[in-house]
Amino acid sequence: MSDFRAMLASPYFNVSEGFFPNINLQDGLNWAEEFIQNVVIPRLPEAVAAHFPVELGTVLVMFGCAGIFVGVFPLLPLFLVLAERKVAARFQNRTGPMRVGPWGTLQTLADGVKLIFKEDFIPPQGDKFLFLLAPYIIFACSFAVFAAIPFGQNILVSDFNIGIFYIMAISSVIVMGVIMAGWSSNSKWSLLGSLRSAAQIVSYEIPLGLSILTIVMLVESLSMQEIVATQSNGIFSWLIFRSPFTFIAFFIFFISAIAEVNRTPFDLPEAESEIVAGFHTEYSGMRFALFFIAEYANMFAVSAIAVTLFLGGWEGVLPGYDILGGLPGFVIKTLALVFLMMWLRWTLPRLRVDQLMNLCWKYFIPIAFFNILGTGIWGLIFPEDTLISTSISCAIIYIGLIAAYKVAGRSLAQRPAPQPS
Amino acid sequence: MDKYIRNIYRGVYTVLVGMRVTIKQFFEPNVTHQYPYEHDYEKKRNVREIPKGYRGQLYNRMEDCIGCKKCEMICPVDCITITGTKLPKGEQLWDSMNIVHLKDGREAIGIIEGDDKKAKSEDSVTLTNITSRQGPQEVIDRLEPSGDAGRIQTFSSDEISRIVTRNPVVFYLDQFDIDMSLCMYCGLCTEVCPTECLTMKDTLAGVEYSKFDRSDLIFRFDKQEMYNKSGTEDIEAAD
Repeated sequence: MSDFRAMLASPYFNVSEGFFPNINLQDGLNWAEEFIQNVVIPRLPEAVAAHFPVELGTVLVMFGCAGIFVGVFPLLPLFLVLAERKVAARFQNRTGPMRVGPWGTLQTLADGVKLIFKEDFIPPQGDKFLFLLAPYIIFACSFAVFAAIPFGQNILVSDFNIGIFYIMAISSVIVMGVIMAGWSSNSKWSLLGSLRSAAQIVSYEIPLGLSILTIVMLVESLSMQEIVATQSNGIFSWLIFRSPFTFIAFFIFFISAIAEVNRTPFDLPEAESEIVAGFHTEYSGMRFALFFIAEYANMFAVSAIAVTLFLGGWEGVLPGYDILGGLPGFVIKTLALVFLMMWLRWTLPRLRVDQLMNLCWKYFIPIAFFNILGTGIWGLIFPEDTLISTSISCAIIYIGLIAAYKVAGRSLAQRPAPQPS
Repeated sequence: MDKYIRNIYRGVYTVLVGMRVTIKQFFEPNVTHQYPYEHDYEKKRNVREIPKGYRGQLYNRMEDCIGCKKCEMICPVDCITITGTKLPKGEQLWDSMNIVHLKDGREAIGIIEGDDKKAKSEDSVTLTNITSRQGPQEVIDRLEPSGDAGRIQTFSSDEISRIVTRNPVVFYLDQFDIDMSLCMYCGLCTEVCPTECLTMKDTLAGVEYSKFDRSDLIFRFDKQEMYNKSGTEDIEAAD
């Protein structure tokens, strides 16, 4: 036990010097050890304190933090599913679930209990091993994303220097689980849904990554905390207003993210009216619940990433004041984006496959490349984020929006006269 | 290139128009009613008058019921169950009496001088109050709003709305159950009722009486209700 620190520092164990440079596992240990030394031991009787196993305590504290993390985040979908149903009901002038608990607030809990007790059906003709594995891959990957999201100054699991890269990588693994689920179900609906999902996610990863790249170019870091730290001077230092190109990148990122998490209008992989439920048609009981939880966790995760990258993360609206800042501010901003997703869901109908691919390959990817070019030039002209660069950027955004509204006017929005054939 | 930009512009524009439409709906009021808890008439929307003579829930005024079982016999779906016990000879719940309903809502209870069947056609009615009746004290209290025994009151025919004659009650109704889940609302029982004590409510309370349990739809009219003052208050409040 006394060799614990030495073992962690050894090149065989220490991830920080091997695969990824400088993952701060050591820092996490230091924090937990300081907690033991400064908070726990002074409160113990002396006889106990002298023999208190610091290493064991450190590990226990870390496990405790992990337990909080693992315990809290699966509760998010419980809330989000209810919110989705309530918001959907509101858009249709209904009330939504009302009977279970006050105003139906316990409805999702009741649904969860029902799903736990339902039969867990496994298709006899399918690939059993992959069928059982797929929900866990999707579930694990969608929750692993939360490890790199900073919810507050000190409320994060790990601030490693490749944070956003890690998020991109780990969320791409989800498509593996989707294909596994579709293949192993031995059902045409599932296979069609999973292949659609694969095509969609692979396509939309590109504009997503490219719009993240514009941010990374301006911040010159992949670490999530550093990205947040550059946005600490109030609302106009948020990266969405940093340059006109990040303003465009935000919308490309957000729409691509909606496509990534398979929500309407990009819900072709699980289109009810076409392919029943897509890749999770054959799943029932708790395995279905895992898919469901992962879907809503993903929804929250992409909103949280959008907030971190573009909308200031946990930094507030005014410099020095804690308005819309900290954990509550972060959650409010994230839920606002989640609401925007729900709003879009009840506004737009589902796209066709060709429209989906058109939008991605003909519009988003060229615009995203143009964005990168523009951001590069912007970075050359304004290497530092100053008052001048911010005001120029905001002015360009403002004039652009006004011009789009006034000059181009509604005539552009008119349907062009049909050409004689 | 022109078409490309137009396309982007039109896409953004139409999405924004659609979003404006949906967000307007977001702030519209709900149309849902939480039905068993909440009725149309509570929200004061789409409320229609219930027509006079509507055949709603059956209600039996037990004080007037003589237990003749005509309603039980005529009911086509057998939703009425009556069990009665005759009192031993010589006992009775109360004596024969007349009730004079006045137009201002008061009631006077006593015995009319002369033939009560002719009383209505005469110019005035003379009523002798009575108290000396057998029966529970609560019933006596309720039936005597008009003062001391032996007092003689005279009412002119302008004041009187109707006169009811009650025979001596020598009969206990042990059970008078109406199963409203079986009732087909034909109204035959109310037509054969000789004392017109069995009626159908043409009020909201007679229409909206949905229950969660089917057994709650069996309405038991019994002696307890007869002695229970709050029973009549409920009905007045419901009307």
